[in-house]
Formats: sequence, structure tokens, C-alpha cells
Amino acid sequence: MTNSFQVNSKEISKIKTTSKREKDFRIKNLNFFNKNGFPNKRHEDWKFSDLREIIYKNFKKLNTKNTSVKVKKINFIKDFDHNYVAIVNGELHSSNFKFEDKNKIKIKIFKNKNFSQENESNPLICLNHALANKGYHLEIKDNYKFKKTVIIYNLFTKDLKDSILNSRNKIKVGKNSELHTIDFIINESKHKFVNNVYENVALANNAVYKNICIQKDKSQGYFHKFSKNQLLSKSKYSTFIFPSGLRFNKLDLEFNLEGKDSECNLQSASFLNKDDHQEIKTKMNHLAPNCKSYQRVKNVLSSDGKGVYQGKIYVKNIAQKTDAYQLSKAMILSDNSEFDSKPELEIYADDVKCSHGSTSGKVDEDAIHYLMTRGLDKKESTKLLINGFLNEVIEMIKSNSVKNFVKGKLKKQIYGY
Amino acid sequence: MKNENINHNQDYKYGFTTDIESIKAPKGLSEKTIRFISKIKKEPKWMLDWRLKAFNRLKFLKEPDWQKPKFPKIDYQDLYYYSAPKGMTDKPKNLNEVDPKLIETYNKLGIPLNEQKKLSGVAVDAVFDSVSVATTFKDELTKKGIIFCPISEAIQKHSDLVKKYLGSVIPISDHYFATLNSAVFTDGSFVYIPPNTRCPMELSTYFRINASETGQFERTLIIADKGSYVSYLEGCTAPMRDENQLHAANVELIALDDAEIKYSTVQNWYPGDKNGVGGIYNFVTKRGACRGKNSKISWTQVETGSAITWKYPSCILQGDNSIGEFYSIAITNNHQKADTGTKMIHLGKNTKSKIISKGISAGKADNTYRGLVDIGRKALNSRNYTQCDSLLMGNKCGAHTVPYIKNKNSSSTIEHEATTSKINEEQLFYCNQRGLDQEEAVSLIVNGFCKDVLQQLPMEFAVEAQKLVGISLEGSVG
Repeated sequence: MTNSFQVNSKEISKIKTTSKREKDFRIKNLNFFNKNGFPNKRHEDWKFSDLREIIYKNFKKLNTKNTSVKVKKINFIKDFDHNYVAIVNGELHSSNFKFEDKNKIKIKIFKNKNFSQENESNPLICLNHALANKGYHLEIKDNYKFKKTVIIYNLFTKDLKDSILNSRNKIKVGKNSELHTIDFIINESKHKFVNNVYENVALANNAVYKNICIQKDKSQGYFHKFSKNQLLSKSKYSTFIFPSGLRFNKLDLEFNLEGKDSECNLQSASFLNKDDHQEIKTKMNHLAPNCKSYQRVKNVLSSDGKGVYQGKIYVKNIAQKTDAYQLSKAMILSDNSEFDSKPELEIYADDVKCSHGSTSGKVDEDAIHYLMTRGLDKKESTKLLINGFLNEVIEMIKSNSVKNFVKGKLKKQIYGY
Repeated sequence: MKNENINHNQDYKYGFTTDIESIKAPKGLSEKTIRFISKIKKEPKWMLDWRLKAFNRLKFLKEPDWQKPKFPKIDYQDLYYYSAPKGMTDKPKNLNEVDPKLIETYNKLGIPLNEQKKLSGVAVDAVFDSVSVATTFKDELTKKGIIFCPISEAIQKHSDLVKKYLGSVIPISDHYFATLNSAVFTDGSFVYIPPNTRCPMELSTYFRINASETGQFERTLIIADKGSYVSYLEGCTAPMRDENQLHAANVELIALDDAEIKYSTVQNWYPGDKNGVGGIYNFVTKRGACRGKNSKISWTQVETGSAITWKYPSCILQGDNSIGEFYSIAITNNHQKADTGTKMIHLGKNTKSKIISKGISAGKADNTYRGLVDIGRKALNSRNYTQCDSLLMGNKCGAHTVPYIKNKNSSSTIEHEATTSKINEEQLFYCNQRGLDQEEAVSLIVNGFCKDVLQQLPMEFAVEAQKLVGISLEGSVG
């Protein structure tokens, strides 16, 4: 099937629209998607991940049906105290901020009010613009620092099959406020489905936002997330991405460092095994002077896993004194796995420090030899080295309880190797 | 022929035109033009058919538009595809028969055409507009069995070699400009080095576009047979004009078992004036194939000229243990735009490649490194090292790096590094303190920045290139 997957415009009339403007916006975007279909490798941004081919190969049919949202029980993490937001199939289900001052927090179902987005060339974003009608909106008022982490449980139910979910989320952190979140993905569906998310994070002056994204188990999901992030003066954004275990996962992250002295830090460590395909695409836009950005992406590839990193640093001519760095490292364990990278620099200011490094190669034979002389077998030595390779990123997490939690999850993945 | 110098740009010393009558093909791109070129070159039928095949293919192709430098649409019907100094339709036998004005031109350019002078012992093939003017040192080379002649001559005399290798690295259906070249190429150099021969001297070609409204489409084919070695130099200049001229060359290199080709270019086409008027569009396709085991191809380029440079000298590493190298300096000033880099395609086992690229951007120029390193599934134990450094002068220019890196097996290693920075203030201060003025200091520092690449150039070129580096950046400081 899916050679020409089209969404009927009737789907839009099923969505409750508030204005004609909204309806027109949705129809315009749907038409764009229907005309272009899923992006393929002729699209520069999809050069290394031909989604059209992947979808055609793996899906016989696709639907955009809104599935029922009935969840009996969510298995909360018991390792440490936390607040939570539960999202089921993209829809806001429940939330609890028992450790915090509730007056400072606003959470509601996301309502889009901005229909003036410029033309998008990514058909998946257009599809999201057209169909998304669920998601959450989390707002933190000025001068409030969270006491405990917020875990955002992303639950996908058993009955999901061949569907495309479209949702939109927004997080706003006020002046001098601080928020830490963990996106925790629990997938109960044994079937294939597509999850397409559009996310906005806006940090006001001096705000701090830290985020960790992690997967509970291996799953059959095909995920695409576009995230547009705004950083105002002196704000700090840091994100850790540990998203192994999805059949397809593309994270398209755009950071706009709009305020002076803002900082962005992106770290990722993943172990990609059989049938895993993961792409991290970043666009770091340095638009104001004196900003810092740091990106480090580490991949271990085994079996027929495929990893892609497309990173771009853009420095506007007024963004002097920019300090930007990009590093991608890949360890390739099997001849069937592949790592592609495109670390790009586009620089228009002269007083800057911008550099990138990208390496890919095999496991260090000397190190393996050393470990084997100490009595480990080859497999154990390799595992130990993989662990060390990826742990470098995990060690950057400050909270010990969260660190141990992440370590445990990663260990589980590696030991499957 | 237009003869006035429109610009009074003192920096470009090759901006003169030579007043020589020329024969031109009918204006425009058509089958008629191609037949005219083929006829005037006295080409065999297979060559004409080959050109027409390319021309037919061209009708279905579109100009590429993915590259960073955008340029106004070229009117292909408004160009002359063949322009030859009069009297060149019959080849001169020796230098005495060549128009003295032409010789004068080449003397102005500093090219040792005159055999008696034997200045630097470099064998030269000079291409003026569309035809090869003179080739020196022929006898000495012939003794060794080396063929070094205009490609139009090779098509007639060595047609079996040309037929076998022409288009084998750059197929006629490759992309728009390569196909255009295949249809209308006028001349260029042909080199064949027989097995186990080391070419005793540097071979060199000088290209010059003289006539206005002409495009230059030369084609170079170099074949290094088993166990041979050749070093080849290429230099380019053009008069100053306020119009844009097109230069779309194809260069194919073939290295068989244990052969080595070293290809060096100093490209100094007219870059346009300070306001970005005029200049050459340099859209060149250069590709080398390491066909044999242990073969090696090394590209070195110094790109200082042209309004827009757009070229990616590439290596296809087919043979086991073959080596590809790419050393590049690209300097852009004023409104120049350069989008250049390389492709290293690893197919054979134990193949190695090395890329060193230095980009310097000043004025309102844009400088892009764009490169591909692709290590295939079967290219076991392959290795690549890439280093791209960019230097920015002022905040109106841009420096960009766009590397594509693909690794498809577990025994190969790829390393890539890139940095962007400006000239170190402390170094400048130190030089100033020692009595160098600002421009001298910048020139010195930039030369140091480029040292890794300059070292790869043959002696004759290295000196010229160093000077060029300084001249190209004049007026960019302060």
C-alpha cells in the first residue's frame, strides 16, 4: 500500500476548530503533505534517513484515527521522588505537582493560537500542523525553582496499530525560574505506529531548563519530533538524549539563542542494535553575542543499526564572541551497521570560536587485548569498553539518583548485545 | 572583439586583453555549433556522435541549484562556444609560426613558452580561448614514450586511448556542466605515461580566456599506466571584463596499478572588481580514478580567482591500497564566492585518503568547504583524515563547512576536524612590533596558515602561489 498515503480532508472537519483562520491553516498544511508525501532522501534534510522508503517497507496501511484513551494504571518510577505529567497517546491524561507551589505552575491541554507560521518544507511538520489537536502546555511563572524533577510519562497503549499520532507540546519557563524534566517513554503496543510531535520550549531571561529523554524498552515505534526552542538572555538549556530502541527515531532540534550570554548544551549517548535507526539533527542558531553551545553525540552501532548525526551551527554576523562546539563519535561493531554524519558550520562573524570534530571507527583492539590479558573474554571486554564510551555522557548528569536510573536503563540495552 | 579595459583594478595584473583576430563558432548552443566545432577540429565520426549524445542528454538536464553561491541565470544561447586565434585552424608546426602577439601575451603571463629559454624545464601546453596554442619540449617527452599533446590532436592520433578512457571517470550524463562540456569541449591537454616511466619534468598547461562572450570548455585527460609517475600543473588567467564568463572544464585522471598522479592548480581567473562586477564563473568537474592497486592521486589547489568557484576534485579509490589526497587553499575577497571541496569514495580494501582544506574569507565574500567521505561496505581497513580550517576577516564575510561523512563498515576509521577563527591579534601585534605593516603581517600569517598546503606544490608554483596569497588579500585589512 502506502505508496501514496493521503489524508482525507474530512479528517480536519472532525477536529474542533475555533476559527476559520485555523481551519484554513490546517487545510493548507494538509494539502502540502498530501502533495509531497513522506520525505525521501532527495530532501537534503532526509538524505541519510529515507523515511518514505522506511514507511513503505514497514506499513501496509496507516490511519489517523484518534484512539481511545483508557488507562488503568501507569507504572510510576519508584527510584526517586518526583512530580509527574502523564501523557497517553499524545494526550494529556493527568498530572501531579505535589512537591511544588501549585500557584506557580499552569498545565493545560495545548491550544494552538499561532497560525502564522511561515511555509514549512518538512511534510511531517505540515502534517502535524494540519492534524495535531492534543498535547500539553506547561507554564512556569517567574522566579520559581522546582524542588523535584518532573517526569513526563509518555505512554502508548496496546491498541495502537498502524496509526499516526500527531501532538503538540509547549513548555514555557519564566524569568529566573528553573525546571528539570525527564521524558520517559513507555510503549505497551506490540505493533507498529508513527508518533509525530511538535514541541516548543521558551526560556525567558535567566531561566534554566534541563531535560532528559529516555526510553523504557525496545519498541516498534516510528518517532519523529520537531522541537523549536527559544533562549533569551542568560538562559541555560541542557538536554540529554538516550533514545535507543526505536525502529525509527528522528529528533529535529532547533535552538535559537536569541538573548546575550545564553547557553545550550546537548548530549546524547545511544546504543543502536538490530533494526534501530536513529537520527539526531540539530540547528544551533547563534543570533546574539556571547552565547555558548556545546553538542556531543555518541553512538555505538551493532548488528544493522544505523546512526545519523546532522548538526549545524549558524552564527549571525552580530553574534561575536560565540563559542560553539560540535562533536560526534561513533563506534562501529558490525559490518552491517552504518554511521553517517554531516557536521555543518555556517559562520558570518569573525570573532568566534567554532569547531567540530567527527570520528567513526572500530573498538580499540589494544584495549580489548589488554582486558583479555586480565582475564575477561572478548564479549565482556567489548561491553566494558562500550559502557565506558557511553558513560562519559551519563557522568555529566548532576543528580545521583537520576544518573543511576539512566545507567541502569543503558546497561540493560548493552547487555542485550 | 571588445578591447577596452573597463576596470582599472590594479590588483589583477593579468587583466589585459590581446588584440588578436579570432575565429568564432556561430553564437549559441545548438547541434550546428557542435558540428562546427567537430568539423573545424577534423574529428572522426565517433567523436561527433559522442558529443551529440551528450548534447541530447543535456536537453533533459537542469542546472544544479543546491550549491551555496547563487548566480544569475546563464544565457547559454548568448555565448560563443569556440573562439580561436586566427591562423590556428591549421596547427603551427613550431613556435616560429605562432602569432608573435600570442607569444607576447604568454611572456606577459610569465609562461616559458619559448623553448630556447628552457627557463625552468617545464613542458607547457598553452590553451588560448578554445585552442591549444603550443606545446613545448615535445621531442624529449616523445623519446620516453610520453604523449603530451592537445586533446584535439590526441583524438586524431591516439584515438584508441582516448576512446577507451574519455568519459570513463566523468560519464557524459554526469551533471549539467559536465555534460555541457562533453558536448562542446574545444581543447585541452592529453597526457599518457607509459608503464614504468617516471615523467622527467613537470607538465604544465596555461589556460587563458581572451575573447569576450566566450565560454571556455577544456577537457583534460591524464592516464598514468602501470608503475608510472607524473606531476601536472595547471594555471589560469583571463582579462578583466565587466561581464561574467563561463569556464566549465572537465578533468579526468586515471591511475592504473602502482601509478601516481600529482595534479596541482593555481587558479587565478579574473575575480571581478571590488563591487562584484564581472569575473569568471568557474564551474569545473575534476575527478580521478585510482583504478589499479597501490595507485595514488593527489590534488593540490590554490583558488584565488573567479567570481564564483564551484569545484570538487574527487578521488574514486577503486584499487586495493590506493591513496587519495586533497590539499586546498581557497581565498575569497570582495564579492567572490567559493564552494569547493572534494569527494573521497572508498571502494577498495585498505584505501586511504587525506583532506586538508584552508579557507580564507575577507570583504563580503563567502567561502564554503563541501566534501564527502564515503567508505563502502567492502572497503575494509580504510582510513580517512580530514581537516578544514577557516579564517575570517571582518564580519561581512562568511565561512561554511559542510562535510558529509559515511562509514559503512566496522574496520574503517574516519576522523574529521574543523575550526573557524580569526587572525590572532597577538600574532598581528608581534609582527607589527617587528616592523611589518598591517598588510605584510596579515600576508605572513595567512601564508603560515596555508603552509601545509603550499608545501605540497611544486617549486615553480609555490613561489607564485605565496605571492598570490598576499595579493588576493590586499585591501582586506583595516
